[in-house]
Amino acid sequence: MTPWRLALAGAFLLAALAPSAWASATPAGGAGQSIYLRGTLGSGAPLAATRESGGVGIIGADAACVNCHQHSGLGSREGRLSIPPVAAEYLFHSRAQNAGEPVLPYVEGVHGNRDPYTDATLARVIREGVDSEGRPLGFLMPRYALGDEDMAALIAYLKELSQRRVPGVTGTLLDFATIVTPDADPVKSHGMLDVLEHFFAEKNSFPFKPTPQMRTSGRTQYAKSMYMANRHWRLNVWTLTGPAATWGAQLDKRLAAEPVYAVLSGIGGSNWAPVHEFCERNAIPCLWPNVEVPVVAEQDFYPMYFSKGVLLEAQLIARTILGPDNHSAVDAVEQVYRADDSGGAAAQALAAELKGYGVAVHSTVLPRDARADRVTAAVRAAALHKNARGQALVLWLRPGDVASLREVPAGAGTVYLSGLMGGLEKSPLPEAWRERARMTYPFDLPDKRRVRLNYPLGWFTFRHIPLLDEQVQTDTYLACSLLADVLNHMADNFARPYLVEQLQDLLEHRLITGYYPHLTLAARQRFASKGGYLVRFRDTGGTALVAEGEWVVP
Amino acid sequence: MIPNSTLRVRTTILDDACRGGVALRLASLAGAALLALVAPCRSAAAADGSPSAAAGGPTTSLRDYTVPSIRLVRDDGKTVSLEDEMNDGRPIVLNFIFTTCGSICPLMSSVFSQFERRLGPDASKVHLMSISIDPEQDTPARLREYARKFHAGREWQHYTGTLAASVAAQRAFDVYRGAKMSHNAVTLLRAAPGKPWMRIEGFVKPEDLVRDYKQQLLAGR
Repeated sequence: MTPWRLALAGAFLLAALAPSAWASATPAGGAGQSIYLRGTLGSGAPLAATRESGGVGIIGADAACVNCHQHSGLGSREGRLSIPPVAAEYLFHSRAQNAGEPVLPYVEGVHGNRDPYTDATLARVIREGVDSEGRPLGFLMPRYALGDEDMAALIAYLKELSQRRVPGVTGTLLDFATIVTPDADPVKSHGMLDVLEHFFAEKNSFPFKPTPQMRTSGRTQYAKSMYMANRHWRLNVWTLTGPAATWGAQLDKRLAAEPVYAVLSGIGGSNWAPVHEFCERNAIPCLWPNVEVPVVAEQDFYPMYFSKGVLLEAQLIARTILGPDNHSAVDAVEQVYRADDSGGAAAQALAAELKGYGVAVHSTVLPRDARADRVTAAVRAAALHKNARGQALVLWLRPGDVASLREVPAGAGTVYLSGLMGGLEKSPLPEAWRERARMTYPFDLPDKRRVRLNYPLGWFTFRHIPLLDEQVQTDTYLACSLLADVLNHMADNFARPYLVEQLQDLLEHRLITGYYPHLTLAARQRFASKGGYLVRFRDTGGTALVAEGEWVVP
Repeated sequence: MIPNSTLRVRTTILDDACRGGVALRLASLAGAALLALVAPCRSAAAADGSPSAAAGGPTTSLRDYTVPSIRLVRDDGKTVSLEDEMNDGRPIVLNFIFTTCGSICPLMSSVFSQFERRLGPDASKVHLMSISIDPEQDTPARLREYARKFHAGREWQHYTGTLAASVAAQRAFDVYRGAKMSHNAVTLLRAAPGKPWMRIEGFVKPEDLVRDYKQQLLAGR
């Protein structure tokens, strides 16, 4: 960006310290909120609405305002369709007659020039679909049957949507946290932090200008251009300690001491649930952590993941075992994993996927500190179970354990290896196993993703960032660049839900998607990459892979 | 049958004619006769929730599309050929949706639902098809759940498949806009194989869809 554009960027920013500073992530609950978010009236009855054409009625959650106007109340854009913002500031904002009045940040669905609403005309438009100037709204907007009390609650909620300041955002600074759990791999953590620190340093190396309050020219009342948020980024590294039961309290304490706008990247081990829960409870976007076992709760709003990790691998294995007709080729599955590792959740997920299909699933759990020769013994014992239709052996093991495998036991059947845990194409799988084992590969194939990785890998090289784990580090880079992109796009709207909504919409347009063939999200979709491959090694040595079939979305 | 290249030209002309764009220039290139296929565009305004569009309803036009040779996965889990699904002799009403869509799709799907109900016993003679534009998310199980929510009858099927297959279907019917959030409300009607498609852009009301459907059937005989 040229200095000239940067200067302009500064000129277009609203000081976040202004008295009516920007929207809150979590306005207080209450009747208005439950109408808006859940479609439930104060009485507990479902919200009901109709459209002008008789018959197309909607009710309850389907009628909730959030479906179109979004959590932020800032509306959205779908194709040629504009969903206007309904956060009260946008509804009640007077026409800009005088140059010098503060303006509202631009959002895509905003109406140009319209009489401001009053409580009375707002109630009328919600009930009758007639706008502040007496014009009827289009077919998409339902007409809501709301009593006076519910209407007052809803309007109060729309006013709350605009009122609070966003923690972690000032006129000059954006605070972010990254979270490291004690069970995270230390080498991968180091690699991740290295990328984050360099990204932040580079972000802050641009020259800064003061951010004067944006004012109207007298002709338009909205800032029409979208410019980079001209603020420093500050990284707070929250390293957790002790048992998982205490992480929530540790995070709350850190948040109170260091209010952050969002949590970026981060790294976990086999348990990310306390972090996920912290993010959702505090309404903090938690963007793209490096976790093998994410929390599957797609109704939650604030945490976003690249993929389901080992849970996706379990689904890929189940899909392969069951085949297209859900008719299992084997009647037994033997799994091997270490206690307190991601394999536990994966094994459980696989057992759940196979339930009801006549497959006996058995797991051997090795103590977390068992010597490597115990692994070979456990694998041999697992292979001894004799079954009529044959069996599958599933190894949820780390590279150290994989390397220690000896001969392939005679009754092993089909062997599946977790790529994510076992080291992907760099897995030190002994020669005897390389032809036999099928590895789950929840990423695009190395040949196909190579071009997409050129940029981040070159970026690492230039900055002398050692490549400790390519996938973790390029995922971290991807997380950073997605955040930077979306903040550019958001101009000066820092409402946390708006960040999430904008990321959802932006993601599918992203071409440089690192390890993933494509990424897409939407409301109630929290895993951006949804499939993977089953691969095997091509040769007795080296890292070349052969895909067994196409990209599978289980 | 008109060769493919001609069809492409025709589609371009009709698009532009409805957008009020460079139709005249193109029409003079390709011959005014083709324009005769275009039903008058009712309005160029997007049928959105804004007052400016409230006055304009959906726009309609007649098109020729080539059904692509692709395989999709039907909501019952069976892999099917799109051509076979479309060419079983029944009239078709088609749209493109995704199950996590907040605004446009639920409305289009409830219009389909009302359409079925308004047809009454005649509904069994039509084939309603909804193709997912977010196929990796919309598994057959999710599509079945979505269909249940809209009380889909036996004549209404939902389809998913690979991303490439979905994109091919979208391109064939000129609804592909690069990303699911860039999609527009489009409903397509065809009386029988070999007949032109009626394309309805914007939100069509159930009673208008029934009217358009019956008109197409009459024209198709």
